[in-house]
Amino acid sequence: MTGTEAALLGVGQAGGLAIVAPLFNGLVRKGKARLQYRKGPPVLQSYFDLAKWWSRSEQVADSTSFIHRLAPGGVLVTVVVATLLVPVFSWRTPLTSAGDLFVVVGLFALGRALLTLAGMDSGSAFGQMGSSREVAVGALVEPVLVLSLVALSIGSGSTRLGEIVRIADQDGAGAISLGWILAAASFAVVLVAETGRIPVDNPDTHLELTMIHEGMLLEYSGRSLGILHFAAMLKQIALVVLMANLFVPFGLSASSAGGYVLSFGLLAGKVAFVATGLVAVESTLAKMRLFELPDLLGMAWFVAMLGAALAVLA
Amino acid sequence: MRIRLSILAYYHAVGYEDTHLVSPEHVLVAGVVALLGAPALVFWHISYRLRGSLWLTAAASGLVAIAAVALLVRDSSIAFDLWSPAPYAQLAFRLDPLGAVFAAVIAGVALFSGVFGTAYAAPRRTDDAAFPLFVLSMVMVAGAANVYTFLVAWEAMALTSFLLVLGEGSSRPRRQAAVLYLGMTHLATVFAAASFFLVAHHAGSASFEDMGRGPHLSGGLASLAFVFAVFGFGTKAGLIPFHIWLPRAHPVAPSHVSAVMSAAMVKTGIYGIARVAFTFLGPGEPWWGSALIIAGAISAILGVLYALMEHDFKRVLAYSTVENIGIVTMALGAALVFRSYGLEAAAAAALLAGLVHSVNHAIFKTLLFLGAGAIQRSVHVLNIDRLGGLLRAMPATGTAVLVGSLAIAGLPPFNGFVGEWMLLRSLVSLASAPVASLAALSGLAGLASLALVGGLAIACFVRLFGITFLGLPRSPEAAQAHETHGLMYGVLSVLAVACVAGGIGAPALVRLLRPVTAGLVGTRGGAIEASNRIVLDSGGSFSPGLIALCLVVAAPIPWLLLRLAFGRTKRSRGPIWATGMVFRPSMQYTGTSFSKPVRLFFKRVLFPEREVHVSYHGTSPLPRLVRYSGRVPAFFEERFYLPGRTAALWTAGRLRLLQNGSVQVYLLYVMAALVMLLVIAR
Repeated sequence: MTGTEAALLGVGQAGGLAIVAPLFNGLVRKGKARLQYRKGPPVLQSYFDLAKWWSRSEQVADSTSFIHRLAPGGVLVTVVVATLLVPVFSWRTPLTSAGDLFVVVGLFALGRALLTLAGMDSGSAFGQMGSSREVAVGALVEPVLVLSLVALSIGSGSTRLGEIVRIADQDGAGAISLGWILAAASFAVVLVAETGRIPVDNPDTHLELTMIHEGMLLEYSGRSLGILHFAAMLKQIALVVLMANLFVPFGLSASSAGGYVLSFGLLAGKVAFVATGLVAVESTLAKMRLFELPDLLGMAWFVAMLGAALAVLA
Repeated sequence: MRIRLSILAYYHAVGYEDTHLVSPEHVLVAGVVALLGAPALVFWHISYRLRGSLWLTAAASGLVAIAAVALLVRDSSIAFDLWSPAPYAQLAFRLDPLGAVFAAVIAGVALFSGVFGTAYAAPRRTDDAAFPLFVLSMVMVAGAANVYTFLVAWEAMALTSFLLVLGEGSSRPRRQAAVLYLGMTHLATVFAAASFFLVAHHAGSASFEDMGRGPHLSGGLASLAFVFAVFGFGTKAGLIPFHIWLPRAHPVAPSHVSAVMSAAMVKTGIYGIARVAFTFLGPGEPWWGSALIIAGAISAILGVLYALMEHDFKRVLAYSTVENIGIVTMALGAALVFRSYGLEAAAAAALLAGLVHSVNHAIFKTLLFLGAGAIQRSVHVLNIDRLGGLLRAMPATGTAVLVGSLAIAGLPPFNGFVGEWMLLRSLVSLASAPVASLAALSGLAGLASLALVGGLAIACFVRLFGITFLGLPRSPEAAQAHETHGLMYGVLSVLAVACVAGGIGAPALVRLLRPVTAGLVGTRGGAIEASNRIVLDSGGSFSPGLIALCLVVAAPIPWLLLRLAFGRTKRSRGPIWATGMVFRPSMQYTGTSFSKPVRLFFKRVLFPEREVHVSYHGTSPLPRLVRYSGRVPAFFEERFYLPGRTAALWTAGRLRLLQNGSVQVYLLYVMAALVMLLVIAR
């Protein structure tokens, strides 16, 4: 892949995900509403919300520093660069050899550090509470994320996400093993935790007893708030696509225009499947108490460790 | 000009590639002599900034660092004999590439700490005299050519740093910390010496060069020497459970000394383990490496958890040193496992990870300890629960500490991420390498631990920076904070730039360190491609520059797009939203409340204690007084060291029977000892 191709793929991939991210959010919200026999907001509501935030002026607390001002852009950029390392329409990624799964995890972690610092900046106890919970939950999620990805990489002998997908695509159904299934199960828990959804966090609440992500955003308004919400949506779609492509690694070796259309359709199907799962989980489970989270994440860690150990011993 | 040109022409003619007119030997000797002479300058007038001894130490350290880096670039070593006070006791100096890495780290840290110290440290003659000798003894440890020189330098390092920890007119906790440190460091000496003597005895020579020629020990004896080395040098490095002196001794010393102790001195322990395990002992048993991975993982996890529970800025940093030493130890362990299976390329890659992290840890830990010094000078308080909002009062110091915090949390594109990435990648290779299942699983365990440590380190340093520098001041002292002297935040800014440069320019560091791994395990272990990409021989590649470039290029794009699509928006300032009440700084989270989720998530490891006492007045249902206290017990101190101390004191009490004060009896002891010696040595 030449530099121009990589740049084009990068712009297409990041831009495509950015355009679709609010739609995915709207679909999940609609699905949840329908399961609860409500009509729910329009599917495009997230776009309207973003446009509203982006065009409004903002109020900033007196006690904030430059971190409050720079963090929204910083968080968004870490997510954008992370998407460049994720295979989306094809196993080829724009930044193929610049980094691997650990770099993706590291970029997400950088975003988390910036966001939690921003939450603490004003001195408001809500923001500090959100940050305190976010870093604690993040510390438990990170090993699960790494182990579930490593379980896949041991099988394929590479830690590059694109390579993992390519090799699995070649192997076909042979790639699906018990370790693979365990890794997928633990990654699903990571997906729920990292996107701030029930049972770990609740995206629809502003009750101080329960909130994590919303707490950190409480001092934000206007354009900055819109950017932070958008970064969260982008991270969510990136993780969903990553999960879809890693664990259903088919149809990603397109080389012709027709092939790309096909892989795009396949991707839409896979993403819709994950979305249905998210809707089902969010509608049927209750939010867990914060201090019960180690049980859930510890279980996920154990499952991921088992998956990785099976890959090692295989 | 003419002369210089002709010299260049001469070098060219004889095919001498190196056209430097001054050799590293000269620079090194100049630096060492200057360090030796620096204490004399304390007899001059000393005051803030007018500190001959510290300035000379900094300059001399700069020379030593330059010489050491030059040696690394040339991939050569230098050696000279100094003095032979007695047969078998020869002071000799030899700096090979492995020693040069650590000499460069030590001297580099001393350079920045020395300059910072001139503006920071209270002018005290003993401190200023001990500092250059402390630096010199550490350089000698890295450059010792034989066991005798090593032990002399090692002991000098212990005593000079003991003096610096003790300080003048010291308080009781400070004396206790100093004595504990002295005791622990001698425990380290005993084990380290035992390990050396085992090897030297079988090699028939006490020179490191001879001891490094071919494995002299095998089987159980080699394992014994390895275990002794890990115990001895692990104590100096601060591996759990030998870590208890670090969080006491490092915080009580002045910050520029804490920086040298925490960023440089503990690395002499890493140097010792690497020296014994990789040069003196042969390929060894696979369990050595696996045990070291597990020991490092335990140190890393518990170190960062304890750091999260601390309230004193410098104690947090000291425990974080335990964590980082754990990470480096895991890298040494992975390298040992690979080497025992003859997988030299992978061993070199893992070793490289450890060395890279050692160097980077020195940079950000110096930055953070000196940052603590700046806070100390400005606010005179280091309890983070009494700080807050310092970023607006001390913007330069705060920004530098922010960079250091992101770096130590192991986040890209800063330098802390590079070593951790290399180690993660090496552990994946270990998990999928053709080795015994248990060895592969130890790699997996290391991987899981390192990921957990990464997450906890973010929690720890978001807490440390956020509680200290963000929000509003929690005490009147913190409200009075002001920026410190320009020399101090100048040093901090240079170190912050180094954290960024070390992250983006990591390939250059890897290139510099490759000869060391070649010397220790036979191959170089990593390559740098033209595009400044780090490629490990065991697989995996990473180009930090490209990632950083993408971050920088992508940053303004959303901002520009939003500006184009939605126009400019206004920003206005207002008070914090506090549910309609008037906001008071005491409403903020403290360090204790911030770490509560972690404390409860890990309650089976930390055993937090909590006591709530409610008293009522008469029959009134309303409580009159609620008393609350909570603490995280120091597990190792209370469960291991306290009983150990009691036992030691009891034994000492019994042994006092021997010491009855009568000179005749003592003469009898001397006589008996002499007779015994003659019988044994005959």
